[in-house]
Amino acid sequence: MDSELLSDTFVDLADTMVADFDVIDFLHLLTDRSVALLSASAAGVVLADPRGQLRVAAASSQAAGLMELFQIQNDQGPCLDCFRTGQPVTAADLTGPDQQWPRFAAAAITAGFRAVEAVPMRLRDEVIGALNLFRAGPGPLGPAELRIGQALADVATIGLLQERNVRRSETAAEQLQAALNSRVIIEQAKGKLAERLGLDMDRAFSLLREYARNSHQRLTDVARNFVDSATGDFPPPASRH
Amino acid sequence: MGAQVTGSRGETVWGLVAEHAAAQDRRPSVADVCTVTVSCAQVTGTWVTAASGGAADFVMAVSDPVSEQLAELQLTLGEGPCHDIVAAAAPVLAGDLGDDESGRRWPAFTEAAGRLGVCAVFAFPLTIGVIRTGAMGLYRSSPGPLTRAQLGDSLLLADTATMLLLDGAGHSDGDGAANGAGLDGQAPDLAAHRAEVDQATGMLTLQLGVPTAEAFARLRAYAYAQDRRLADVAGDIVARRLRLHPDPDPAPDGRA
Repeated sequence: MDSELLSDTFVDLADTMVADFDVIDFLHLLTDRSVALLSASAAGVVLADPRGQLRVAAASSQAAGLMELFQIQNDQGPCLDCFRTGQPVTAADLTGPDQQWPRFAAAAITAGFRAVEAVPMRLRDEVIGALNLFRAGPGPLGPAELRIGQALADVATIGLLQERNVRRSETAAEQLQAALNSRVIIEQAKGKLAERLGLDMDRAFSLLREYARNSHQRLTDVARNFVDSATGDFPPPASRH
Repeated sequence: MGAQVTGSRGETVWGLVAEHAAAQDRRPSVADVCTVTVSCAQVTGTWVTAASGGAADFVMAVSDPVSEQLAELQLTLGEGPCHDIVAAAAPVLAGDLGDDESGRRWPAFTEAAGRLGVCAVFAFPLTIGVIRTGAMGLYRSSPGPLTRAQLGDSLLLADTATMLLLDGAGHSDGDGAANGAGLDGQAPDLAAHRAEVDQATGMLTLQLGVPTAEAFARLRAYAYAQDRRLADVAGDIVARRLRLHPDPDPAPDGRA
């Protein structure tokens, strides 16, 4: 494991008080670094919506197969079990017989994954979501990596829920809904940019994110300005705020 | 009342709204959402305000006179939980208007609300990403937070109000299919909608040259007219298997 990247990651995930902090960008950092640090080929974060569903807040790749897996997990899957129990859940080999989650296992294999781990994102007694680590090969993650995965999820939970405390106190419920609405704004922006430039959704997202970083703006603000602009020009007109 | 155990909570909540409207012999509206929210969230009253482009929001429906006063107070004072959700695009849950933080944030509003016997206000934005249709407010004459179940129902009812406002804000250009599409007997099911629906909406703003709210309405109208699932149509648009055109074919289903 890259120990320098690991310590950088904890520093980055703790650095949530900056002016251009963006919750969705932050959760993407979590999934990207999880893939870089752990032996996972993809990672995703789901948040618990009080409407009674798990919703994808970030994923290391927008691959349709990955999204499909998260959808299925509203009915069955390791992530849902992790969310319900508040405990890590491991599916070390999805190709074996007697699968606990047959529909999920079949879809995961189609998407190119053979093993998955889900670690909870917990705030005291409440589970607010889960970090999912997908692996192309079989086998569990191993205790050391699992501990790091849980530590990343813990740091991210604190960062996520403290985001706005600088401004005023908010309940976790308010902050989670803000994060989920940011996700929708970013998806709308991805669609518009993909249409404008003839890109796939992953590439459209990368462009939005790079531009936000380079111009020191919040990703959600960049996305909102772009979707709201009457033209399809990118970069969008500067933020009004 | 007979418990409906089948289907999602969203469908159940939508069923209650539709039932209430049917009992009044009318099509579901935000007024029905207000009434159902009072019972589901166990609050004293609710109101819905609608956004109107650049102009000030206006009150669409209230469950009681105090709700109407609370809605109007926030619009005239320019402060209060419903005012704050516009910037935050997230709920503002003020379970105790008597606490220090509420007093600091909304000095004029908390004082006026206190005179009306209002102890808690919960404000929900009626939004889908950048699409803003209005706000829903709930109040209680006793302090305390919403339970998790009450919060979940409130969010689902806010989704229902969002869709009803989107449909009601339909265009007067004869594009009738956009009006009421998707809500005839169907739960709006916003939370379950996939990223592809939002991506397709963004793509359609350029394909059709329309604002985001209208792009979303056109997407839903198309799915409704073709009798297809919204997520499937959105998936086709994102995969570039389907494009929509600014001048809709007058009889697209003639050849389907």
